[in-house]
Amino acid sequence: MPLEPVVPNSIPLLQVTGLRVAVAGKEILTGLDLTVRAGEVHAIMGPNGSGKSTLAHVLAGRDGYEVTGGSATFLGQDLLAMAPEERARAGVFLGFQYPIEIPGVSNVYLLRSALNARRAARGEREIDAASLLRLVKEKARLMQMNESFLQRGVNEGFSGGEKKRNEIFQMAVLEPVLAILDETDSGLDIDALKVVANGVNSLRNPERAFVLVTHYQRLLDYIRPDFVHILAGGRIVRTGDRTLALELEAGGYDQILAAAAR
Amino acid sequence: MTASTPHESSTEPSGTRQPWQIAAERQSQAGPETGWLSLRRTAALGRLGESGLPNTGEEDWRYTSLAAYTRRWTDYLVAPAPAAAPGHPSPPPGVSAGITVDIVDGVLQVPAGGLPACLPAGLTVRSMNPRGPTGPAEDLLRRLDARPADSLVDLNTALLADVVLVTTAPGAHIAEPVHVRAVSRGGPGFAQPRLLVDLAPGSQLTLILEHSGRGGALVNAVADIWLARDSRLDLVRVQSLPDDGMLTETTRIEVGEAASVAVTSVDLGSQLSRHAITVALAGTGASATLDGLFLADGHRHIDNRTLLEHRAPQTTSRETFRGIADDHGRGIFNGKIIVLPGAPGSNATLTNRNLLLSSTAEIDTKPELEIYVDDVRCSHGATTGQLDAAALFYLRSRGLDPATARQVLTSAFLRQGLESIGVPAFRSRLDAQLQARLAGPAAGGAA
Repeated sequence: MPLEPVVPNSIPLLQVTGLRVAVAGKEILTGLDLTVRAGEVHAIMGPNGSGKSTLAHVLAGRDGYEVTGGSATFLGQDLLAMAPEERARAGVFLGFQYPIEIPGVSNVYLLRSALNARRAARGEREIDAASLLRLVKEKARLMQMNESFLQRGVNEGFSGGEKKRNEIFQMAVLEPVLAILDETDSGLDIDALKVVANGVNSLRNPERAFVLVTHYQRLLDYIRPDFVHILAGGRIVRTGDRTLALELEAGGYDQILAAAAR
Repeated sequence: MTASTPHESSTEPSGTRQPWQIAAERQSQAGPETGWLSLRRTAALGRLGESGLPNTGEEDWRYTSLAAYTRRWTDYLVAPAPAAAPGHPSPPPGVSAGITVDIVDGVLQVPAGGLPACLPAGLTVRSMNPRGPTGPAEDLLRRLDARPADSLVDLNTALLADVVLVTTAPGAHIAEPVHVRAVSRGGPGFAQPRLLVDLAPGSQLTLILEHSGRGGALVNAVADIWLARDSRLDLVRVQSLPDDGMLTETTRIEVGEAASVAVTSVDLGSQLSRHAITVALAGTGASATLDGLFLADGHRHIDNRTLLEHRAPQTTSRETFRGIADDHGRGIFNGKIIVLPGAPGSNATLTNRNLLLSSTAEIDTKPELEIYVDDVRCSHGATTGQLDAAALFYLRSRGLDPATARQVLTSAFLRQGLESIGVPAFRSRLDAQLQARLAGPAAGGAA
């Protein structure tokens, strides 16, 4: 169904049309349509196995997914033809469901490399050490993270909650155009959830958009989405505003899916 | 796997004489030697005559041939008028706030004013010059003689030009690291550095032993180390020989009651390197950690053989060895743990992780456990693989291009292998050398 832009005259950042994706020969996404405009927050909800994580991975460019039909564009460019690092440099950020531990590579090193890759793509000079430190400290404060973690290995020895917080921290430093957050709420206690939500909310602005992939509506108590999509069987079966999430909370996926099937 | 020639002779006789006979004769022309050494030289030559140098027909040597090594030596022996390159090659930088001891072609360099002037109380570094008046103490010689015969150790004994003895006084805690720089001037010299380290009860020492040299370096090094009761040694062993350097090295450590040794072994350079290290946990409650790291890029052949021998009750060992093979490099790791009947309550772990970065590189790994007693806890494991695909994607998803992401992960793998080095300045230096190698051309410059 056509959606009214939340921000008047905003440009579409992400346009997914009839996307079909197979993994090891099995079709997971079966014709998915999604339009995300600047300034919007979309929640994609669905039961386990509905294809939520596949969507996030395909948009970020992970190996092992075969696009069998449809298209996805980012700012008018063919997103699916871009390498993962090209997508990142163009301003697409994926928040991982299971962030990777990389001992021996410090968090601050990764941030500097990531930031400079993005700046180089925009024709900007590398960030100087003082500015980087200032930026990183400011964002660490926002995410209530102790600065000592910066010199430690990426996610090394972090708890599940700390890893998720680190994802949002990276996002805050990189300031993407489009952020896709894959199950960022899973494994978080309520305090960590609030910190993560606060991080996301502080980055909301008319030029930026978010796609929140989530199983539970709990996250949406803290990050109010403009649109909620129900994903089932590899495509979006229902779209609504945030009241759809509340409906889901009350009746569960079975009721929603049964209604959608009628 | 390489096909080994069953009866390959790793020595090339010059006429009917073996190269060590020629070398020993030339050496004896320099004049008479003190009794303690000449007796042992004769015995070592006798054993060498029977055993010869190791060859690939022996199980322990099936992956590493000394043919090119012996050929180089023979070439050096027949070279007219051995004219060593003038002057000393520049050794690697010393560790600031540390004590530097230089050994050039196996000979201790004594600065003007003597070494003792530079040493803190409780530490001695002395030369047991073969023509000097004294040898090591009787007790030390007895312990040395008790060690099992080994052809490369015999070769060293037969041809060594000096023995460097490092001792600590009982209870002495030597705060500054001692950096022993064993430098080879290259052809036509065949350096035979020999180090004896004897830690008195309750003493502590940090020792960095670094092998480096000029092009064409040929080295057969031996270090014999004893830790008395309650002592502690941090040993960092590094070889950063030039790309055409060849090294055989034997390290033998005996750890006494409640004493502990922490060894970090790093192979950065050389064309051929073979290091055999034995740690014997000989006293109740003795413990050892052994961390190893090698980078076999270019055409390097790097062979590490470790033996952890639990001889006494309640002994503990933890070994972590990591290696990278790239380009046409070849890495070999053979790690053995033996728990003898006299070592109940012992605990041993061995981990070997390898990265294979090119299809033309090769790594052969063989962890072994031999346990002769119940009531021990032992584990071992070895993995050889490529870089983690999930980690690569994570870095790319943050904007790093694939080549950079691979390099970042490779250097992280190496960096972890340096974490056990407790001298920050030295660790940083090695880290910088490794990073420069990874960033440089695939063949790798001299370290």
